Amino acid sequence: MSHIKEKLLKDLAESVVDMDEDNAVDIANDFIERKYDPYEGISNGLAIGMDKAGKLYEEEEYYIPELLMCSDAMYAGMDVLRPHLKYDETDEKYKAVVGVVEGDTHDIGKNLFKIMLETTGFEVYDLGRDVPPNEFINKAKELGAKLIGLSTLMTTTMDNMEIVINLLKEEGMRDDVVVMVGGGPISQNFADKIGADGYAPEASRAARLAKDLVRGKMNAIV
Amino acid sequence: MTIKSLSKKERLFRAIKREKIDRPPCICPGGMMNMIIEDIMDITKVEWPEAHRDAEMMAKLTMGVCENGGFENFGVPFCMTVEAESMGATVGLGTKINEPRVIEYPINSVTEWKNLKELNLNKGRTKVVLDAIKILKSKNSDVPIIANLVGPVSTASSLMEPVDYYKELRKKPKEAHEFMEFVTKNLICFAKAEIEAGADILAISDPSGTGEILGPKLFAEFAAPYLNKIVSAIKNYTPGGTIIHICGKLKSVYGILNSLDSDVISFDSIANVKEVANNVNNKAIMGNVSTLALEKSSPDIIKNLSRGCIKSGVNILSPACGIGPRTKLENIQSMVEVAKESASENIILKLS
Repeated sequence: MSHIKEKLLKDLAESVVDMDEDNAVDIANDFIERKYDPYEGISNGLAIGMDKAGKLYEEEEYYIPELLMCSDAMYAGMDVLRPHLKYDETDEKYKAVVGVVEGDTHDIGKNLFKIMLETTGFEVYDLGRDVPPNEFINKAKELGAKLIGLSTLMTTTMDNMEIVINLLKEEGMRDDVVVMVGGGPISQNFADKIGADGYAPEASRAARLAKDLVRGKMNAIV
Repeated sequence: MTIKSLSKKERLFRAIKREKIDRPPCICPGGMMNMIIEDIMDITKVEWPEAHRDAEMMAKLTMGVCENGGFENFGVPFCMTVEAESMGATVGLGTKINEPRVIEYPINSVTEWKNLKELNLNKGRTKVVLDAIKILKSKNSDVPIIANLVGPVSTASSLMEPVDYYKELRKKPKEAHEFMEFVTKNLICFAKAEIEAGADILAISDPSGTGEILGPKLFAEFAAPYLNKIVSAIKNYTPGGTIIHICGKLKSVYGILNSLDSDVISFDSIANVKEVANNVNNKAIMGNVSTLALEKSSPDIIKNLSRGCIKSGVNILSPACGIGPRTKLENIQSMVEVAKESASENIILKLS
């Protein structure tokens, strides 16, 4: 690997950690002009930076506002690199459906989970907030999604997660998808109780777990 | 020394001031800390969403909780959208079991705060809440009336997309402060009206403005000072005192919690009662029975959790957050029973 490329990848990662959108765009442009592989720029540059930001969040160095600004820088860089991607170069991506369950419009946690899922290589369909149970099922069916992510920040709407899981069972889809739950009031205990596959207290850990669970499930089926 | 049995109101007033009491009160303020459940709707024949926009129904529903062996207070409203709606947000009132929520934001950036409406006390659901408090007051009962207020950060982030709001706290701090001043001024206006209408206590919940979300620096800059502005503006008019509820982990902001001017601090089940009691020394402690346990477990488990809270030193026994509307009345009653059976030795000892 050339020195220049290595340095640019490091700078891309740093621009994300430093929450510097303009820098991310400039470096991404430089990266393309030098004819480096845009996929590498995303996965070995920007995504590394976002992962580092996620870890800083786990360590309580960064909080939500910082994490959101990091993700802005990541997306700004991605917007430059993405149009140059050749499709056959990208891995086959697992599809995921995420949303905030009905009754709640707080979607910070869901947005962070979506960002981190994209960073780990998922193709994410975002149903938004206040999503009726049926919509999760229909969209997952339509896309052949391997992962459903349910989020809520309110204790009063946690029950709607269980309703989605029961609907999946009724539809005979429960064994085909990994169900992850998350949000302020959710705990491992709650996840176990309602029969979800996974929970993590924080978005970047949740995304890593999601990937492991989906891979595990795919291997088991094959 | 023993104390004669107190009325519900006297007991809560004293607990808030950390004075001697016969036993801890068991309350749930309302507002974000929802106390309304389906069982009570069925008993009173008053239901959501209708009760959110009708003062008589609102009063009847909260009275139903206390009258049926539930929490030892009245509290209105039952959601956290009244303030934002009055300032221009579009609200969907939800269903019998889903709370109202903001469905459309009036502004896109903190810089646009001048386009917001001033909170109007004379129409809409702000008026419904004030009328409901007047009805509760007119009952002249010994049950304390708690008025609820959505905190400044949570109100602000109900008026624009929260993702943009959080980023702009860092990107546009000057305009963000102007926006927060505007929001706080209007919240004070509503809080004062709630007290004037007859509320005994003001409870402020700011679930979007926590240390866990903002971090200690932004919490100290954008949450604490505006919470304190509200408390100091109404302090002298509020007979029973003020409660602030903070969600999430508190560890990063223990130091700042001492600088909040409320009489009571209420907190989530994720925070440990003993740890809070050790770190916050100038307030009554309220909490923190898991709302998940309340909804999903049995009276026996809830009784144990409630005893644990009292043993660990809460002055006021309460759920850790809003309770789910599908929670069984029996489970709430079991919390109240624990408060009734317990002699408040720890509190008396602490003061003697």
